[in-house]
Amino acid sequence: MRNFSLYIILVTFLFLNSCTEIGPEIGEVSIPSTERVVLLEELTGASCPNCPKGTAAVEAILKKFPGRVAAVGIHGKFLSEPTKRSKYDFRFKEAEDLENWLKPWLGKPAATVNRVDLGDPDQKYATVVTGQWESMVVSELNKPHRLSVLLDANYNETDKSIEIDITTIPLEDLQGSYNITVFITESKIIDAQIDGNVIKDAFEHNHVLRAFTTKFDGDALATNMKTGESIKKKYVFTPPVVEGLWVKENLEVVVAVHKSSSNDREVIQAAAKKLKG
Amino acid sequence: MSFATFSYPQDKGIISGAFETNANIFLRDSAINAINIPQYDHQFFGGEAWLNLNYKIKGFTFGSRFDMFHNSNLRNPTGSYSGTGIGRWYVKKEIDKVEISAGYLYDQIGSGFIFRAFETRPLFIDNALYGVSAKYQFNENWHLMGFAGKQKIAFETYTGNIKGIRTEGFVSLGTEENPLTLAPGFGFVNRTLSDEYMNAVVDVLRTYQEADRFKPEYNTYAATIYNTLNYKGLSLYTEVALKSNDVFNNPFAEKQELVGDNTLGKLVKAQGSVFYGSLSYVTGNLGVTVEAKRTENFSFRVDPNLTLLRGMINFLTPLNRQNTFRLTARYSPAALDISEMAYNFDVRYKFSKSLSANVNFSDIKTLEGDRLFQEIFTELIYKYKRKWQLTSGLQLVTYNQEIYETKAEVPLVKTVVPYIDFLYKFTPKKSLRAEFQYMETKQDFGSWLFGLLEFGLAPRWSFEASGMYNNKPKKANSKGEIEKTLYPTLGLVFFNEGQRYSLRYVKQVEGVVCSGGICRLEPAFSGIRFAMNTTF
Repeated sequence: MRNFSLYIILVTFLFLNSCTEIGPEIGEVSIPSTERVVLLEELTGASCPNCPKGTAAVEAILKKFPGRVAAVGIHGKFLSEPTKRSKYDFRFKEAEDLENWLKPWLGKPAATVNRVDLGDPDQKYATVVTGQWESMVVSELNKPHRLSVLLDANYNETDKSIEIDITTIPLEDLQGSYNITVFITESKIIDAQIDGNVIKDAFEHNHVLRAFTTKFDGDALATNMKTGESIKKKYVFTPPVVEGLWVKENLEVVVAVHKSSSNDREVIQAAAKKLKG
Repeated sequence: MSFATFSYPQDKGIISGAFETNANIFLRDSAINAINIPQYDHQFFGGEAWLNLNYKIKGFTFGSRFDMFHNSNLRNPTGSYSGTGIGRWYVKKEIDKVEISAGYLYDQIGSGFIFRAFETRPLFIDNALYGVSAKYQFNENWHLMGFAGKQKIAFETYTGNIKGIRTEGFVSLGTEENPLTLAPGFGFVNRTLSDEYMNAVVDVLRTYQEADRFKPEYNTYAATIYNTLNYKGLSLYTEVALKSNDVFNNPFAEKQELVGDNTLGKLVKAQGSVFYGSLSYVTGNLGVTVEAKRTENFSFRVDPNLTLLRGMINFLTPLNRQNTFRLTARYSPAALDISEMAYNFDVRYKFSKSLSANVNFSDIKTLEGDRLFQEIFTELIYKYKRKWQLTSGLQLVTYNQEIYETKAEVPLVKTVVPYIDFLYKFTPKKSLRAEFQYMETKQDFGSWLFGLLEFGLAPRWSFEASGMYNNKPKKANSKGEIEKTLYPTLGLVFFNEGQRYSLRYVKQVEGVVCSGGICRLEPAFSGIRFAMNTTF
């Protein structure tokens, strides 16, 4: 019997030696030619040790798909408290509301691309696998372009306000109810960030969600939109005065038009614009 | 709640089973951070239930399990999960020397280093293999078993498949006066990634810079060889497990980024190994156990992109002592799969019928020599007739929170815990047990006091009251205040012929919860817990 067991072991190793498989080719990402702009919402936080990995993934995506991705970094609650060496606190109630609204997710960093339902009970919209964000962006860019969003954002030096003009034009009939969400983000904020097991004091925080001009889950836009029937929206937002923050050159307006049902929140078009003026 | 229990022959068949349920009422308490999950915000109630039924007849065994999760926080401690259905079914048949099984199967090879299909309910682990197995018994000492299938996840299965073989035997050498026995075994497992998982791996690798890229392979092979040698009072278990080139996530590997600084964590392709040895010697009143384990790159999952407790094909045995008292169990390490060198040394000595002692030492470092965990544990047990028993000792722990809980720039947690457990029997049916522990530490939450009183009225009732008090707090609560906080528990347990009911009011601090050697970070709990279980 011992001989039989030795035979099994020998056969196993012979089997292994004879197995040379043909693996997949990695290849490169093909960049779709489209007018679509996708919304990339990253759940992040200053006290999140793995979040610099998410930040790097977002920046790489923005570099690879210029003008096609609008990024928002949500500093909600989980691991978003300032570090012991932070100057700023990026948290605010609506950011926390949005973070909760995107639950369940497994941890941070996590990101949702156009709030597509992933069909995973553990992570409905946002996945923690940073390496998959890019393929999710490609997948969304490859979908049909169904709505144009024209965005203009101007800084009014007189009253220090931001004037936001939005025009949406359906490129086909769109059934159902749609909301519009307008985010104000800020980039190039130098402040502390936990990275692995160290605190980086001079980390560059980009696309930090600073405010909404709408409700966090959007204002009603329209129901059953008809092809070519444009809708105009205007928002005015006055940034607060805080030393070192709300630097107008670093502010960006991000707009997302998305479905408004509780089970379907998919974004059909986004837009991003740095301030003029 | 009503239910029926029965166990009787039925056409020479036997029905057996078990029922277990947990029901939680969530009571929001921002002072202990028991907030911001749906159960506290609007669901208020959550629970789980499992009903197993097995039927044996004429060499057949049929089994099934009904699972229910209702607003459960087991799957994701910060989320809510609901699902109901048949969580398991299986059929087993013995035909002469062959035993064949199909359905959702639990089994393991050796210590589980290359394969373990198991269930750990408190952590929502149910890694049953959905497939078939066949076992051939050559004689009373040797068998060969083969299996193939997919791993279960809740009410579904992962794609990709797992197959393997195991052969185990028993050899008796030596003489009747000097018996020497061997129990050797060998196992082999092959995991093939599904196209779905391979595409996801390729998607991830496409985002990598050239320096980090590699060509992934669908197949990973793992083999293990093990043996238990027994000679008089000596027992030696050894196991060596090797894994071929496998794609897995290494959270400590540096990754080049297209924009900005390098980051930590990426998919890598590497071979893995585990070496494990356990030597026990018992003579007279003395028992000594020495264990050592070296682990390198032995993360083995059905999909390399899975994290936390999901999709684990294997199980790595933790080497530290499994403590039971509340504060001695507070800082407990999970076995690390990327880089770990662990030792455990345990000595037990019985001075007399009344007095015995135990000293345990565990030491865990990375292969690079970084301290992960160290524990010195002493225990003295004194029994006075059948009247009372005193258990007391001291525990010293060093725990690397940076690694086990991914916390940045936090020092090693160092604790000193004296503890005492006193059991007094007023009568054979009436008893009182008192526990007291104190944890002195300057790190994490700061120092703790824990006290428990448990009054037993055998064979039906047990009443308990306990409190965990953060007497030297270091951490701010959700209100941003550093406060001394009491975490009380009040409970009663009722026993009735194999049934056990418990009802507790609980406030529980956030911490690492370990079950079966696997740990995860659990948020604080505030509420009422009911549990019931029975077998029949």
